[in-house]
Amino acid sequence: MKKWIISFYSVFLIAFIFYSYLFIDFNLSYLNRFYSNFIFDNRQLTSIMYASFICTFFVFYFLFWRMYLNNTLGKKDIKWIIGMTSLTLLISYPAMLSYDIFNYVLTAKVLYLYKENPYIIMPMQFTGDPFLAFTHAANKIALYGPTWLGITSIPHFLGFGNFILILFNFKLLAAAFYAATAWMLYKISKDFLSVVIFSLNPLVIIETLVSGHNDIAVVFFALSGLYLLSKKKILLAFILLLLSILIKYSTLLLLPVFLYVVFLRIKNKTVNWDKIYAICAILMLTAFLLAPFREEIYPWYAIWFLPFVALLRRKSMMVVSLVFSFSLLLRYIPYMLLGTHLDPSPLIKTLVTFVPVTCVLMFMFVKNKLWEKRFFRF
Amino acid sequence: MKKVLWVPFLVLILLTFSIAPIFAQSSYVLPYPSAMPGSFLYKPRLLFEKLNKYWYFGNFGQFTYSLKQSDKYLVEAKTLFEYKQYLLGYNALKKSDRYFKETLPNLEKAQEDEKNITQNRLILSSAAQRHIEILEIIAKDAPEEFIWQPEKERPSKLKIKAAIQLSILLRNKSL
Repeated sequence: MKKWIISFYSVFLIAFIFYSYLFIDFNLSYLNRFYSNFIFDNRQLTSIMYASFICTFFVFYFLFWRMYLNNTLGKKDIKWIIGMTSLTLLISYPAMLSYDIFNYVLTAKVLYLYKENPYIIMPMQFTGDPFLAFTHAANKIALYGPTWLGITSIPHFLGFGNFILILFNFKLLAAAFYAATAWMLYKISKDFLSVVIFSLNPLVIIETLVSGHNDIAVVFFALSGLYLLSKKKILLAFILLLLSILIKYSTLLLLPVFLYVVFLRIKNKTVNWDKIYAICAILMLTAFLLAPFREEIYPWYAIWFLPFVALLRRKSMMVVSLVFSFSLLLRYIPYMLLGTHLDPSPLIKTLVTFVPVTCVLMFMFVKNKLWEKRFFRF
Repeated sequence: MKKVLWVPFLVLILLTFSIAPIFAQSSYVLPYPSAMPGSFLYKPRLLFEKLNKYWYFGNFGQFTYSLKQSDKYLVEAKTLFEYKQYLLGYNALKKSDRYFKETLPNLEKAQEDEKNITQNRLILSSAAQRHIEILEIIAKDAPEEFIWQPEKERPSKLKIKAAIQLSILLRNKSL
């Protein structure tokens, strides 16, 4: 049975790779031999397929979770599943749901090839650059902090100027951070369940291993900082937190938590780590919910709070994060279906994101005891 | 007969259009004047500008930096001339010229590095046009010469109009 499920899962991942290539941009000349107009000609079918893939991803997620709890799957199996997922999805098309990865590639090019400051010079100023044809937001200066710019030198230089190699190097980088985050979660919790909850979450898989978002690097550095803090390596912990802040500034909210832990250490008081994880989760959830003030809630921002929820494993937070993980992935459907980011897409996106969470919270509030004995056993 | 009567009228309209001066105005936007000499913020501003030079690395970066500095000092010069602070205004104008001179070589270097400079060349041309417009405004009210008499030192003669003409000439090359 176990082997069958894992085999079905691998077939499912391969099918997802094929599906991802339906989203190739016509202007992406490097891959246009795979271009088909399918997603534009079949918007309804594309959306239904996407929703089915997401639902299936969640079915596998809960299945693996359940199997791990029942000891049907061991640590080795989970490691195998994580490794297989990472390697398989490495070859998926990264700009299926977001074009950010092209932005990473072009920003690195501005700095390392053109030798210009990406915080001053916009990619679009390099008229005639072939990457401009498919890069979105080329009219913006670098959006991420210097840590990220430093890290991107690795995929840039290892690509030797070949766009495809650079692009997939960026995906490899995201996969490396994904594996490192899973390892760090295990180091912190000493419980593989946290790894299962975080690493097999479909949102984490899709946004990290498919789209290659750098949020995984943000949480990796923050978690590493937290781990070193628990080992009383305060200076290193703060350096790592700083590295995280200097990718995306959201983890700045964790600074008071770090200072609070140091304060407890100085006062020789015991640190209640569950309380710390809970505060971290709430703060990162706050950063996530504040995102609309800057732009909008993007699904990959959920990666900021998911690892802390996986460490904490408190029922209410777990349910909220799982419902968010599902509903955030549905935010892509209005654009797939309607082909526009204008009305009514924003309204549908907001409804899709917040209505399920609100309903579940209300349900939990009313039927609290029903939930206690049902699905989530730890 | 009626058709013939229309002819002088049409000629008159055409003449009106040809005689009326048409000014080419640049849409290039200059910055607001920042801290002026004498202000306690002026020295920190100079220090910040020096440090900023390293932040604006790269050919395009240096081009942007030089043009921004040139803009800033031109605006400073205009403000100072308006307040009849001729020596300070003269110095600001010279600084603006010095930075303006650095713009084109940076673009040429960028071209050598195989960067497409078309867009930045247009920006430079637009900036030059706007600078000339401002310089012409300054020239209207500026004196031909100004004798600066510092305490316990020899007086020096500032050829203000000539300096403004030189600045215009310099910018004309970048049009």
